[in-house]
Amino acid sequence: MRLSIKDIWNDLRVSIFLVYKAITRGNRFTLILTILVTTLAFINIIFISSIMNGAITKAYQQAQENYVSNIVILPATDEKYITQVQQLKTKINTLPGVVSCSSRYAQSGVLRYDPDKDNQDVREKAWNIKSINPTEEVKVTNLQNYMIAGRYLEENDRDQIIMGREISGGYGASFQISSLKGAQIGDEVSITYGNGVNRSYKVKGIYNTYFPLADLNVFITEKEMESVIGVHNRASEVLIKTDGSVPERVYIDRLRTMGIEKEQINVWMDFIGYISGLTQTFDIVKSIVTFIGLLVAGVTIFIVIFIATVNRRRQIGILKAIGMKERIIIMSYIFQAIFYAILGAAAGLLIIHLFLVPYFIRHPLPMPIGLVSLALVRQDMALSILSMIVVSVVAGFIPSWMVTRQNIIKAIWG
Amino acid sequence: MPVEALKGLTFEIQQGEFIAIMGPSGSGKSTLLHMLALLDDPTSGSIFVDGTDISKLSSSQKTTFRLNKLGYVFQEYALLPELNAFENVYLPLMMLGAPARDYEKAARGMLETVGMGKRARHLISQLSGGEQQRVAIARALVNKSRILFADEPCANLDSKNKEIVLKLLRQLCDELRQTIIMVTHEQEQRLYADRVLWIKDGQIDREEKVR
Repeated sequence: MRLSIKDIWNDLRVSIFLVYKAITRGNRFTLILTILVTTLAFINIIFISSIMNGAITKAYQQAQENYVSNIVILPATDEKYITQVQQLKTKINTLPGVVSCSSRYAQSGVLRYDPDKDNQDVREKAWNIKSINPTEEVKVTNLQNYMIAGRYLEENDRDQIIMGREISGGYGASFQISSLKGAQIGDEVSITYGNGVNRSYKVKGIYNTYFPLADLNVFITEKEMESVIGVHNRASEVLIKTDGSVPERVYIDRLRTMGIEKEQINVWMDFIGYISGLTQTFDIVKSIVTFIGLLVAGVTIFIVIFIATVNRRRQIGILKAIGMKERIIIMSYIFQAIFYAILGAAAGLLIIHLFLVPYFIRHPLPMPIGLVSLALVRQDMALSILSMIVVSVVAGFIPSWMVTRQNIIKAIWG
Repeated sequence: MPVEALKGLTFEIQQGEFIAIMGPSGSGKSTLLHMLALLDDPTSGSIFVDGTDISKLSSSQKTTFRLNKLGYVFQEYALLPELNAFENVYLPLMMLGAPARDYEKAARGMLETVGMGKRARHLISQLSGGEQQRVAIARALVNKSRILFADEPCANLDSKNKEIVLKLLRQLCDELRQTIIMVTHEQEQRLYADRVLWIKDGQIDREEKVR
């Protein structure tokens, strides 16, 4: 039998009429409970995925803001330093989209910390000592905003050092065992460099970004480092901050065309490979959690619709007897299921936006990559809502189809 | 083991007739009503309404035929509890695709006919058994059904409401020439019918002309 648009429209009209009456005049307790379960299932899906998104976003943000900025130029593979670095930085700063750039030296050394100055309980740590030009560095990274004790370096500081809390060892550091186990502001730390030069420094500042890769660093000034290693106008790395208008890899081509041919050019992503692995793991976890959440919502709706249809088997039989088409009955239950899903999703979104997001902004979760808040991704939310609706359609269809296919006599009289 | 509920029944019903089908328990009277009402399929045989063999219609055609041509009153009222009396009555017309203005007017008229005009906005749970049965009758007739099937319509009613319902059915038959086929096991109810078909062991035992 062919269906006309008029037939379809009329069937929809009757189905929606029945759903509207069932919801507005039906059992309020069941309605509220069902919506509560779908709301919680939805919040669970979004919350878990947004925490993971937040963690990944934070890790990426940390890498760019506090670790290596957006692009890193390293010396050519057979060179120890980048030469003519001042001229290079001047050229780089003319590139459209470049905010600023900063050069660093890196020199191996052994840090030595004698807290009581009695050669007892001396703490030593072999590490890569880095230098910064503070005036340039503050335009490229944000470490100056994460000082938890003391102050940031200034350009003319010669006997001062700043370090991340994972090096100092205090302030709740995670890697106590390999740290200086409690170097404080004003303490003296000596460094024996790889070239044999020995210098003493006062700890001027300690910072904490909550990002171990950034917090496992020690910085002195560029002027101090050049006096130690006896070079000038060179660098071990040049950090470039971009404005984000185009992906970073676009800049590699632009830098090459500027004449930076031999040096290695990398983007920040190349320095946090382990986080890419984490992203993949998180994606798997998100999929599992989403699947379980949808299953919970779907099964709940299925049970509600199943009980409703079983309890109303006789009425459904009578509706069929008086001439109601099975598809109208089935559609009415599907619409009811979709209603539960949509309302659950809407309530869930409200709770997330009004309560959870502001809460986690005020109280971010401390994680090994930083303080993490919820990062809501529109695409994820849209997909979750759509999935809930699809699941609810199935959950509404199956029980109603099972009951409506029953013979009228059997449905009414058993 | 198959059971022959009905064995070779043949009879005719005229338009406007009120037929009571009676017989002992297990005689096949409900089975006969279900067949006539297209709620069940005969193993063999035909059912003709206005010259059309309705027993040969497809499932969806039977659904459409029931909606358009037949009306039902069940033992337990069988109204939708989430709808009020008015909504229960206009539902079949809504299913037929009538505009809201038309089906509301028809429902109002039918409720007045069965004496439930003032209780139209009440939910079913707010109505007595007799009132519910009258609403069920209104619903059965709102689509101008050719035949009204009533399966023990007074079984759950007290004597006062039984009388009200039976008088209403008789009135519909007299004033609207409504064809009614009613199954009942109560002797006194047959007096409202024009004719009684007595069923015994799946066959028509005898016919009794009452009026």
